[in-house]
Amino acid sequence: MIEVTGIRKRYRGRDVLNDVSFTAEKGELTCLIGVNGAGKSTILKLIMGLTPLTGGTIRIDGQALEPKLYEKIAFVPDHLTMPSGMRLSEALRFMADFYESWNEKRADELMRFFQLEHSARIGSLSKGIAAKFNLLLGFAQDSDYLLLDEPFSGIDLFSREAITEVFTSDLMEHRGVLLTTHEIGEMEHLVDKAVLLKGGKVSLSFHCEEMRSEKGKSVIDVMREVYGA
Amino acid sequence: MNRYLKLVHMEIYRFRIVLLVLMGITALCQMSALIWMLKKALSDLRGEHPEAGAYFSPIPLRISFEWAMFNTQMWFIIPVLLCISVLSLYVFFIWYRDWIGRNAFIYRLLMLPTARRNIYLAKITALLLFVLSIVSFQLALLPVLELVIRLVVPAELRADSHIIDIISSNQALVELIPRQFEQFFYMYGAGAVIVAAVFTAILLERSYRRLGILYGLLYLSGCGLVVASPILLFGTNESVIYLYPTEIYLMLLLLFLLVASASVWLGMRLIAKKITV
Repeated sequence: MIEVTGIRKRYRGRDVLNDVSFTAEKGELTCLIGVNGAGKSTILKLIMGLTPLTGGTIRIDGQALEPKLYEKIAFVPDHLTMPSGMRLSEALRFMADFYESWNEKRADELMRFFQLEHSARIGSLSKGIAAKFNLLLGFAQDSDYLLLDEPFSGIDLFSREAITEVFTSDLMEHRGVLLTTHEIGEMEHLVDKAVLLKGGKVSLSFHCEEMRSEKGKSVIDVMREVYGA
Repeated sequence: MNRYLKLVHMEIYRFRIVLLVLMGITALCQMSALIWMLKKALSDLRGEHPEAGAYFSPIPLRISFEWAMFNTQMWFIIPVLLCISVLSLYVFFIWYRDWIGRNAFIYRLLMLPTARRNIYLAKITALLLFVLSIVSFQLALLPVLELVIRLVVPAELRADSHIIDIISSNQALVELIPRQFEQFFYMYGAGAVIVAAVFTAILLERSYRRLGILYGLLYLSGCGLVVASPILLFGTNESVIYLYPTEIYLMLLLLFLLVASASVWLGMRLIAKKITV
């Protein structure tokens, strides 16, 4: 379980996050929802140790973040994180070299599924293709947790469908997925738990199924109430 | 292979083309200057172009490698300066290239399942290896240049030279390859300390951004003050300094070690705890 407890982040004299707490369980898809600038991406960066915490604690299966946990938790940022001059085959080699949790067979399957060419250079990929390869780098790790930052941002309809298909496949079974989005649309039926952020704080956190069965509200209905849209 | 060595390999692989180009330019400059100078000297010796002698020191009856080296100083200095400039710029670029562009590689590097100090150590090791490989290449080039002389200058007009005299006759090589290992160690050691201090300044900037620029500059000034403190305290007039030269030398060595340790410790701490992407 990823436990985020009372985290604070101050950046350039401003409280980006203030006393944020939530949990993301293994086998569930947790969605961090918020308008632009709500601090969603910052939370993911804090979990991955890519920016220092101002206060609070983050624990992964009861442990504080340390380098060996990067085998257990994979992060897919909103952009590719491999040098532009690298070929896709070199990027796959890099991942295989550095991660014991890298699953080469799965990487090959995903390369075929997303119709990616091994010889293509990262700098020459279109936005949609780059997003698919970015996801592949996260999906092909045998990690317990997967963090995704805006996985559908700027991607065409067909690419979105292909990516959504992966979410419903057995690839995601038993994994804990934490993703951020400001467009819940096509993801709504996949989300188990929603955490709504507003002004750097958690406004509401709920299990979507319970919300639907007990109050008859969809995630979008709750979002309308919270964000007043 | 452990992840530190893999990171060193990756850093070398990323710079390989620039390194090969630098070596190519060095070989091309030195070889073509040598051939051009030898041709001129030979034609002068044969009385074909008497004015050619104006370019060099008086041409001896028998041309030696040592004489040839002395007369091609500039064409050895230019590639050496070029290599130093490129490597000096790369001290900064080796970090910033991971942040710039659409695909910031630093995300991936910081998320590797290995201690972050390995990223720091791999970058400094790679830079040291680049410097040493360029120096080694320059040394390896000398026998090739000697072969060029053998091919261009007929045996009756050629004199043999000793490697030490060859290096001593060229100012660029004297600076690049000191005669004593101790000097070599101090010179390249001081270079490594400067690189470590600059790395720390860069990491201060990457951790604290705008304010980090100020911290970085202050840190570098502090390091400069620390290593210059014996000169600032005692001046340079040896007759009025009440310490023995060996004591001053020991003091300097300790101060350099202090700056090196502080820089490496702080750099590793910043990359592990404070860095922000």
